[in-house]
Amino acid sequence: MSVPSPSVAPVLDRRGFIKIGALAGGGLLVGTYFRFGAASALAETAPAAVASFAPNAFISIAANGTVTLIAPNSEMGQGAKTALPMIIAEELDVPWDKVTISQGDLNPAYGRQAAVGSGSTPGNYGPLRQAGATARAMLVEAAAQTWGVPAAECTTENGAVLHRASGRHLGYGELAAKAATLPVPADVALKDPNDFKLLGTRVPGVDNEKIVTGQALFGIDQTLPGMVYAAYVKCPVFGGKVASANVDEVKKLPGVRDAFVLDGINGLTPGVAVVAGSTWLAFTAAQKLKIQWDQGPGVSQGSEAMAKQAEAFGQADPGAAVPAGATAIEAAYHYPFLAHATLEPQNCTALFKNGVMEMWCPTQVPSAGQRSVTQGLGLAARDVVVHVTRLGGGFGRRGSNEFSLEVAAIAKRLEGTPVKLTWMREHDFAHDNYRSNGWHFFRAGLDSAGKVVALHDSFVKMQGGPGDMTGGGFPFNAVPGSQVQSNKLSGTIPTGYWRAPGDNGNTWATQSFVDELAHAAGRDPIDFTLGLLAAVPGAGAPGGPAGARGGRGGGGFVPAKMEAVLKLAAGKAGWGKKLPRGQGQGFAITHTNNAYVAVVADVTVSQQGVLRIQKLTAVVDAGLIVNLSSAEAQVQGAMLDGISAAWFQKITIEAGAAAQVNYDDYPLLRIDNAPPAVEVHFVKSIAPPTGLGEPGLPPAAPAICNAIFAATGKRIRTLPIADQDLKWA
Amino acid sequence: MSSFNLNVNGAVHAVDLDDNTPLLWALRDTLGLVGTKYGCGIGECGACTVLLDGEAVKSCGLSLKKVGSAKVTTIEGLARGGKLTAVQQAWCKLDVPQCGYCQGGQILCATALLAAKPRPTDADIDSAMSGNFCRCASYTRIRQAIHAAAGQPTAAS
Repeated sequence: MSVPSPSVAPVLDRRGFIKIGALAGGGLLVGTYFRFGAASALAETAPAAVASFAPNAFISIAANGTVTLIAPNSEMGQGAKTALPMIIAEELDVPWDKVTISQGDLNPAYGRQAAVGSGSTPGNYGPLRQAGATARAMLVEAAAQTWGVPAAECTTENGAVLHRASGRHLGYGELAAKAATLPVPADVALKDPNDFKLLGTRVPGVDNEKIVTGQALFGIDQTLPGMVYAAYVKCPVFGGKVASANVDEVKKLPGVRDAFVLDGINGLTPGVAVVAGSTWLAFTAAQKLKIQWDQGPGVSQGSEAMAKQAEAFGQADPGAAVPAGATAIEAAYHYPFLAHATLEPQNCTALFKNGVMEMWCPTQVPSAGQRSVTQGLGLAARDVVVHVTRLGGGFGRRGSNEFSLEVAAIAKRLEGTPVKLTWMREHDFAHDNYRSNGWHFFRAGLDSAGKVVALHDSFVKMQGGPGDMTGGGFPFNAVPGSQVQSNKLSGTIPTGYWRAPGDNGNTWATQSFVDELAHAAGRDPIDFTLGLLAAVPGAGAPGGPAGARGGRGGGGFVPAKMEAVLKLAAGKAGWGKKLPRGQGQGFAITHTNNAYVAVVADVTVSQQGVLRIQKLTAVVDAGLIVNLSSAEAQVQGAMLDGISAAWFQKITIEAGAAAQVNYDDYPLLRIDNAPPAVEVHFVKSIAPPTGLGEPGLPPAAPAICNAIFAATGKRIRTLPIADQDLKWA
Repeated sequence: MSSFNLNVNGAVHAVDLDDNTPLLWALRDTLGLVGTKYGCGIGECGACTVLLDGEAVKSCGLSLKKVGSAKVTTIEGLARGGKLTAVQQAWCKLDVPQCGYCQGGQILCATALLAAKPRPTDADIDSAMSGNFCRCASYTRIRQAIHAAAGQPTAAS
């Protein structure tokens, strides 16, 4: 997922943020906490100077030894609030059970605060190691000066500096005041990753205890004194606006404080706001709104018409010529729109007071929410203070921040009164930025030896948004002369980033088609794929070919790494067993966000067509693993998320609006359909870590579909699987 | 508007709300107990699960009128005197939560299951827990944590 880089100073350019001053009472360092924007209108003002050592924005060590680390990126279940501070703690050499983690608000001092594209870990790994190592070096220097010994004779362990030769040691807290007086070194040595003690272990989430006791953490849990509750109703037809609404009538309903139309605000989808004394009153009042919509031209759009338009692209495209003597194989694949369906519906809380908009946002990209508010309401960035809450699921949905502008527009009208906006679930389904639908019209040529000698894909998706296809990824890079033609539907359905954009649908299609080719060639599918990987230019080289790309992951695609994870997965899953009809194994691979993943699925399909997933086996090369617990959970969850979507989910567009309104017609995978066995294996590595929020997702669905084919001979070419008849006799 | 005496987590709270107000919103917006979550409003997702006289029920469709004098336990009321229950401890130790939004409901549902069946099988778990979505699909660890809370060995992950 690509997100514009925030225009802030790089994290390591610390000097701009460092302030050292004398404290009354003899303490010598000042918290350098840099609050972006104006002081909070409601909460505490910027922290007063405290006697602590804070060599950069991420670390604060108090004289009493308390170590506070900042988690700069949003936590939405991917584990960033635990994993990122772990990186600091590793280099700083502080015991994990002694640190306090604080979620960072939007603050340029924190660098890349975008929890998207599986980028939190790879984007912060270097800077946070540096931050921890810098603080550690200054504490060592402080101890060395105190003792009058060379710094090189000092070591650190468990939050203390040791001088072994003399048996002396000083805790970090004891050194904080002195360290604070030292210059920040420009260049410090980092640990050898082979010496890491904390990284690579299983560390439970830092908020677990709060979660299991129901404490307020999420955006929807924000409660402020005197707060009112809002609902916001938009036209179900995309692009529509309000012609008129019975707001005067609704204002008179019990418990309703206000109701008004919002329109003409830059970036805001027009709609009707209802403000009431509770969420329930706001929702019930919103249901009593009678709104005349100006639906606009979007009303003519529908999924059926889009399918016809896509078919026309498929038929019009002449495709690559299949060489004479080769067997032509053609297949058309289709995947539907998907909603994100985060379990916490979109919401946001804001207070506008004294010219400052203070906000509590469950957002993956806080700077984007701030920008929407500054642009929409004409406020300066310093006057839009963004606190980041925990997110009840992200999956790409909360990279866009419509809720931020909506609540800010409401709060601005209710100056001085805090407002919490909560989207009704029905509105959340109706106004998503959906995963685009897509079609692949494949044509391939197999020569008499079963080798792929031609490969062509005519791809169609909704215009705008991510998820496009290029010809650089696997398997196209394995077939000389292969072509990918990309076509766009002319509609205006809002599409956006959905976990593993592009790969979440395209990997299903390409990996299913490769499986078709393997069967057509009469080859074992894994042998067939290994043959294709060997044909990628640069195969065999450990570093891979310059510029070769697999999937959309960026970076060099290293065929040898892909081959290694696939062979490992085949071994772990016991690939190649002879199975009776109704049982099948399938596999798929992906190179997503620079991680290499192979998944083998074992399924059974009853003669009546009931699918059961028995086992998933994943092998992942994601570089160094930061937190083994959350890494494993991410791969487990991403695989099941991919299966949930492929098995059950579709958003269809009828008369310009989403037809599905709630979870009863957009089901998620439930525990009774989750496989009894899910194995995740990581390749041991000290290479810089990739992210892991997304890479496990793309190969799960094609592995299942290929296993269904092995079990039944039925090829799934249209999703969701639940719409297909899997009966066999 | 009517007056209700809600028995929540061992204390009686007097609230004045419309008869049809779902328990979910009385808990969240009136009593400030935000651990009970809004997910769908139609009883599909289970994020709003509470215990009503020990039974796991969905509070989004349960009007105050129907709650009557039943004893309501929310996720905030499970731990007593700051001590987490075996289920809560297992959830922390096995690091079940991903985003965490559904987990209060999952834990209450698991608590009711274990009260009825102290040593559940995987099939018992699937049957008892299938009314609670986890959008992050933490199901593998939910099963392990329920077995762990029951004092049973868990299959290797």
